[in-house]
Amino acid sequence: MRNKRKPLWMTMSVVFVLALTVAGCSGGGNKTAESTEKQGTTEQTTEPKVEGNTEAKTAGWQLGSEPLDFTFYGNYDWYKMPEWGKDKTTAWIKENKKVNIKAISSGGGTAAKLNTMMASNELPDVIWGERQPDVERLIEADMLVPIDQYMDKYPNLKKWLDPKAANMLRSSDGKLYIFPNWYTTRANGTAGWVVNKKIYNELGSPKLETFDDLYAYLKQVKEKYPKIIPYETGLAKDGQGVDMIYQGYKENNPSYQSFYAVPQGDQLTSIYKDPDFREARQFIAKLFREKLATQDAFTQTADQVKEKVVSGRVAVYASSNPTVDAMQGDAELKKTDPDAGYIMIWPLHKEGLDKNKIFAGNYKQLGWNGAVITKNAKDPEKIFAFLDWYTGPEGSALQMWGPPGPDGYWNGFDADGETPKYTDKYSSDSAGLGELQSKNDPFMWVGNTVYIDDNKAKFEATLPMEKRNWSTHYQYEITWKTQKDATEFVNLFPVPDSQEGEIRTRITDIYLEQLSKAAFAKSDQEVLDILDKAHEDSVAAGYQQYLDYITKRWHENLGKMAGK
Amino acid sequence: MIRYSIGDRIMIGCIYLLLTLLAFSTFYPFWNALAISFNAGLDTAKGGITFWPREFTLENYSIVFQDSSLLRGFGVSVARTIVGTVLSILATSIFAYGMTKRELIGHKYYMLMGIITMYFGGGLIPTYMLIRNLGLMNSFWVFIIPGLISVWNMIIFRTFFKGLPVGLEESAKIDGSGNWGIYFRIILPLSGPVIATLALFTAIAHWNDWFVPSIYISDENLLPIQTILRQTLLSNISVTQMSGLDSASLARLEQMKNVTSKSLTMATMMVATLPIIAVYPFVQRFFVKGVLIGSLKE
Amino acid sequence: MARTTVTKGTANHTPMLKPKQRLGIRMMKQWDIQLMVIPALVLIFIFSYIPMYGVLIAFQDYKVGHNFFSNPWVGFKHFESFFHAPELYTVMRNTIVISLLKFAIGFPAPIVLALMLNEVRLMFFKRVVQTITYLPHFMSWVIIGGLVTTMLSVDIGSVNGVLVGLNLVEEPINFFSIPEYFWTILITTNVWKEIGFASIVYLAAIAGVDPHLYEAASMDGASRFKQIYLITLPTIMPVVIIFMILAIGSLLNAGFEDILILATNPGLRSVSDVIDTYVYRIGISNFRFSYATAVGLFKAVVSVIMLTIANAIARKSGNSLW
Repeated sequence: MRNKRKPLWMTMSVVFVLALTVAGCSGGGNKTAESTEKQGTTEQTTEPKVEGNTEAKTAGWQLGSEPLDFTFYGNYDWYKMPEWGKDKTTAWIKENKKVNIKAISSGGGTAAKLNTMMASNELPDVIWGERQPDVERLIEADMLVPIDQYMDKYPNLKKWLDPKAANMLRSSDGKLYIFPNWYTTRANGTAGWVVNKKIYNELGSPKLETFDDLYAYLKQVKEKYPKIIPYETGLAKDGQGVDMIYQGYKENNPSYQSFYAVPQGDQLTSIYKDPDFREARQFIAKLFREKLATQDAFTQTADQVKEKVVSGRVAVYASSNPTVDAMQGDAELKKTDPDAGYIMIWPLHKEGLDKNKIFAGNYKQLGWNGAVITKNAKDPEKIFAFLDWYTGPEGSALQMWGPPGPDGYWNGFDADGETPKYTDKYSSDSAGLGELQSKNDPFMWVGNTVYIDDNKAKFEATLPMEKRNWSTHYQYEITWKTQKDATEFVNLFPVPDSQEGEIRTRITDIYLEQLSKAAFAKSDQEVLDILDKAHEDSVAAGYQQYLDYITKRWHENLGKMAGK
Repeated sequence: MIRYSIGDRIMIGCIYLLLTLLAFSTFYPFWNALAISFNAGLDTAKGGITFWPREFTLENYSIVFQDSSLLRGFGVSVARTIVGTVLSILATSIFAYGMTKRELIGHKYYMLMGIITMYFGGGLIPTYMLIRNLGLMNSFWVFIIPGLISVWNMIIFRTFFKGLPVGLEESAKIDGSGNWGIYFRIILPLSGPVIATLALFTAIAHWNDWFVPSIYISDENLLPIQTILRQTLLSNISVTQMSGLDSASLARLEQMKNVTSKSLTMATMMVATLPIIAVYPFVQRFFVKGVLIGSLKE
Repeated sequence: MARTTVTKGTANHTPMLKPKQRLGIRMMKQWDIQLMVIPALVLIFIFSYIPMYGVLIAFQDYKVGHNFFSNPWVGFKHFESFFHAPELYTVMRNTIVISLLKFAIGFPAPIVLALMLNEVRLMFFKRVVQTITYLPHFMSWVIIGGLVTTMLSVDIGSVNGVLVGLNLVEEPINFFSIPEYFWTILITTNVWKEIGFASIVYLAAIAGVDPHLYEAASMDGASRFKQIYLITLPTIMPVVIIFMILAIGSLLNAGFEDILILATNPGLRSVSDVIDTYVYRIGISNFRFSYATAVGLFKAVVSVIMLTIANAIARKSGNSLW
């Protein structure tokens, strides 16, 4: 430890001295972080307008002009950052951009570790993780550096992040703290319906579009294949296959069940009173009652679900992420019988609804998670400069296709400065590319979905059908078309330790309990009774206050999206 | 020798039967886990693996061992387990022996002081601050010193020490031995079974602990094997859940096509627990009857 | 009190001394045994007592970013909100019932196992059984939970397979959705998992029995069962009693991980929610540290009271903690 201290201090003081010199050029931006709003506008007027070309000179710091060192913490139990510079891609970055990142290990005890670091004010420079609730707590404790003050000086985030999404990411104080990851402007997601191909063909490929079709089909399966689970729900305690049915009973449903409320006019109201919800729940109970749905729905583990799917023991499987199990099952079943496997179908719907208004799941333009820069960072702007470059074409291409060069998978950009010039190796060595991407995966913190998917789709389109990956194929064909934009419903939830947060915890308990109870109800009437009881219990726990709160947040979102 | 009556024979017969049933019911899951850990994950997912792997593979283990720091972590774990156990057993048993003395002034208060810590604690954050102020962050000694004294173990030691024959201690006193001398020359050698038991418990606790390092150690070189394994496992499991998200994690999933979270969990469990489980058979010889009496007679 | 100068010769007649001096000097005189305990007590003081100021947040509204003394003080607010929580009745009832069941069944089970192992004369068999029964202690609850849910599953479970096969039930039982079964499943699994490990300490105690006693009893014609009752049990009694006192002191720890994993079905909450799972759900996962600390403090106070009572009763047997 003591031996290490010296070089650490040396590098730190070097960085600090450099920081001082740079601070001159950047107008001492971060010192007056508190008045960002004002500053933001002044900077916009003072800085010369930057044209699209990434090579353009900006007033910002030039990445690679001097070394940049910072510490990084991934706020997930499962996340472990491999050592920086040990693989081809990060070695290239270290070499060419002089960036060195030191991982702070969490050892799988993330929640406790973050709490101790916050309490003792020893945060790492960058934290990467979910937006809620930890980032919100960091903002509340005033431990983060707003990044919108830098956005105008650097080209990429400003260009690729939709301004609407940027507005949505803003914290309640109007500042932007989060550098989003896998942000997008178009649909993504994996929720959907999977059907066992062999059984489906053997039963004569009947029409499978509405819930009536489904019911008839499941009946047939149960009769002809007593060992087969007709309808697999996945982990129903999390909704999954149970929620999927509600999705089909309501047009344009962005997963209202996830916040226990449906809009009525401009108010969010009790989900238990929603006629579509009630009808869907009765249908679900019918499936369970007639043993058409797996009886282990609420108690099984993910491994058990996988086991059933991979061994071909389910006829229909719907969940918010059936693709991994189905893809593996498809491959495994095809080994013994080329006609076996799984296909994906368009989300089912209630008779009379418009199938094009039925969605299997939702997506948010804000993407998955994000990175934040803490006030402990010596030089937040330089870190931002790195992240901005990292999410741009060069950074993204590096992460997806490795270091450029004649022996790499790509070699420089086309004239537009964005489209990579792929080498022959790109199409010939897909195994090597896969390995490279899997190694790079833990380093993808600020992924640029639009850029990457666009370029991948161009390539994928050139492949014949059978060479496409099962999951990728259905993404293009079905799942991406059937996910509803739920951006207006992000960040609805109250902070957990507020009064509304307390209410939400209770309401969640009630919701989850009725989910399993109503599924096993003996009659349609009992389903309604359970839902009514859940409504009353929720009201007693403060439902209205919660509904008012999320309605308010929803309206704020709509305002933000409209640009206010 | 000892003769058995018919009643005795029936009872012993029942005992053998019950123990066999219990042993089988506890053995099977473990053996099954072992079989699964050597079987291709996707094949396991088809079900039906019982005693032997069907599609033998080392892939699960190769993923568990993919982390190059695992060997170093193993070393850290062994070092911490040995040093921690020896020091803790020594310190705690001396404490316990002192506490057996009725003439010890304040022993009731001391006991109360110890017992209170079994129920009241300040929580993680004040402890973290303390450890930091003591300079134990990122130090090997954070594994050893804070847990050196275990009140629970002290109570068990004390109970056992009290059960030792008084006469020996008395005669040693007459021979002019002091209390420390008695502890080292009489008490310790007579306490084989309890020392073995508590050493085993302490060693297991040290070996299995992943939490303390996750909080107090940020230097990868000092992470024990449990922490590393836990992280590797969680990270690989998460891949299957994340893969819908982006093409890179899909690529990562493709890399471990034949592996499932279940097969990885089982392989990880084997790597994580077999070393410490293997210790038990060596400890058992301390439970052989008459150890105590035999040494008493000498 | 009269002041007298103390000479060396009268040092044994302590009544003449001032109490303070008397204590100090008496402690000095037994420096050797004090030296055995004081270093340990210093360590306990540093690592357990110094951080105890942390319990103060039970009386505050703790927010991250503040230190422990700058949070607003709220008195007993969190205790009150716990006592007025709508879940309180269910949670307390489940805690008490589950821990009593665990105590009644889980406490004697390893003693019985140890006694049974002691009757085994085949050393190889004994060692193998000992080692094997201790294995499940090392399997995480996640693995065991997977095992139990598979066994009891409706669609694929072996238990239901047998029950239906033998025509004992008409259709498979959904064990995990019927609240009546939950406690049985929980206790059985727990006993099964920990019985071997917990029996080790009793085996160590049994190792202290003088084999001559058995021989003598056998000569007198005492049956094996009688020998267990008259010789083995009395020898291990002190250990059993101490463990019993400690177990009573932790009766409010009805379980946590086992319940979280076995009671995944939210429909079981009316029988599965105990203090620790409740605090985890309402307190810790929502960052309500003050609330969680308050409940923890409440638990600790009750535990110490119960421990004191148990200890007072046990003192009559001659074995007690203090």
